[in-house]
Amino acid sequence: MNLFRTFSFVTTAMTYLLIFVGGLVRVAGAGMGCPDWPKCFDRWIPPTSLDQLPDHIDPAKFNIVLAWIEYSNRLFGALVGLLITITTILAFKYYRDIPKINRPVLAALFLTLIEGWLGSVLVDTVLNPITITLHLLLALIIVMLLVYAAQEAFYLENPKSEMQSEYSPKLKWMFGILSIALLFEVILGTEIRGGLEMMREDNPIVDSQFLLQMLGPFKYMHTILGLLITGISGFLWFHLVKKSKNPSSLMSQTSTAILGLIFAQIVMGEVLVFFDVIPLVQLFHMWVASWILGLVTIQFTAWNKSQLSYE
Amino acid sequence: MNKNIIYGLICISLLGLGASWVIKKANSSYTISVIKDVPPFLFKTQDGKLFSEKEFRNKITVLDFMFTSCPGPCPIMTNNMIHLYQDYEKVDEVQFVSITVDPNIDSEEILKQYANAHGVNDSRWQFLTSDLEAIKDLKKNGFMLYADELPRGHAVKFVLIDRDGRIRKYYDGTDKASMAVLRKDLNHLVKEI
Repeated sequence: MNLFRTFSFVTTAMTYLLIFVGGLVRVAGAGMGCPDWPKCFDRWIPPTSLDQLPDHIDPAKFNIVLAWIEYSNRLFGALVGLLITITTILAFKYYRDIPKINRPVLAALFLTLIEGWLGSVLVDTVLNPITITLHLLLALIIVMLLVYAAQEAFYLENPKSEMQSEYSPKLKWMFGILSIALLFEVILGTEIRGGLEMMREDNPIVDSQFLLQMLGPFKYMHTILGLLITGISGFLWFHLVKKSKNPSSLMSQTSTAILGLIFAQIVMGEVLVFFDVIPLVQLFHMWVASWILGLVTIQFTAWNKSQLSYE
Repeated sequence: MNKNIIYGLICISLLGLGASWVIKKANSSYTISVIKDVPPFLFKTQDGKLFSEKEFRNKITVLDFMFTSCPGPCPIMTNNMIHLYQDYEKVDEVQFVSITVDPNIDSEEILKQYANAHGVNDSRWQFLTSDLEAIKDLKKNGFMLYADELPRGHAVKFVLIDRDGRIRKYYDGTDKASMAVLRKDLNHLVKEI
């Protein structure tokens, strides 16, 4: 395993962790924990007590817990940014002539820079809902690009992988449709969450279940698209695991894991609708969606490799 | 493989534990300081029933001082109070109290008419009256609000009182932004059990 592969693996794992931390900031309501950007209360290290607060900042804005939650997201983001930069440098060092590895990593680096800038827009616009959704969406695309590059690098070192496997060549569109449906499903999910928050401000009735009912169309679209995603994933599983010849263990496990995680998503979704909007469940509901996207990327990359071997 | 799954599950459980700790910490970091206890008093409601500071126990109360014939800011305050009264319909533990600063005119009967005219049809919103000196004393010394020129010179504050009968915060009863803050604080107190 060369240095690029080690780094791409670590970077992908850390990016996943960053998505989790970002979601945590959202459910903890710590998005405005630091009212300025990139500094926090005009300091590089946020204040730990009120008397460290600069004079020109209103003390009413200061909440030490929220400030440190938001600050750890920024620190972690900076770390991941650094890791992606190193991964990009390594990609060009080891795979200068292999665009299918260096291009996605470069794209991930570019999107990461946009993510940093979006972070500042979020603070400037006091958490504009569309920007929050875009912030998450770009993170998901970054993680998919990293997974793809890491797997392609693995195949370069293990050219025999997927050589024995024969999958239907007609599935290409299915991966595309599934990925887009999944990304769209995440957008709908954030709309539900954002809508709930807005309605809670206008209708302080504490019962979230009642507010969920008021959301109507978004909720149903989220459910219907969820069913479609389940159908496509089941279809892919059937063709990649059951109908194929010698599916690799990676392919079987990934396809099965996708179905398992979708089941978990349905359970978590139902808990949110029928029991209570529990922040921790909300957080995992979003995070598991990012895993599914990563697994679909692995599924596609493996399928793509087998097609190339086949040719 | 099974070992990996177990390690994975352990890691995820730890992440979940960590996250729920952070969420808990974040929720409890939002504090509304305690100002002081509401002192003892004994007034009468629009239905002629006695109402003392004990009625604040186990309820979250929004309280204001007003008078029914007030031409100035009172209609805005009453309007804001009506919105709260309607929106918190399903939350039994939230109650509203309006104390008249013009008891010579605002008898129980007048207060009752005023309540009916504003759609108050249950005990969640009480209108209180007493003699002027007692009201003045409660307003000035109990709630630390201006009470030298009653009824005209009354304060336009809404007061948030918690389940233990303690004053937690004051809001401008004529101001939309303050009402938004009040709702946020009210929801916070409702959830805080």
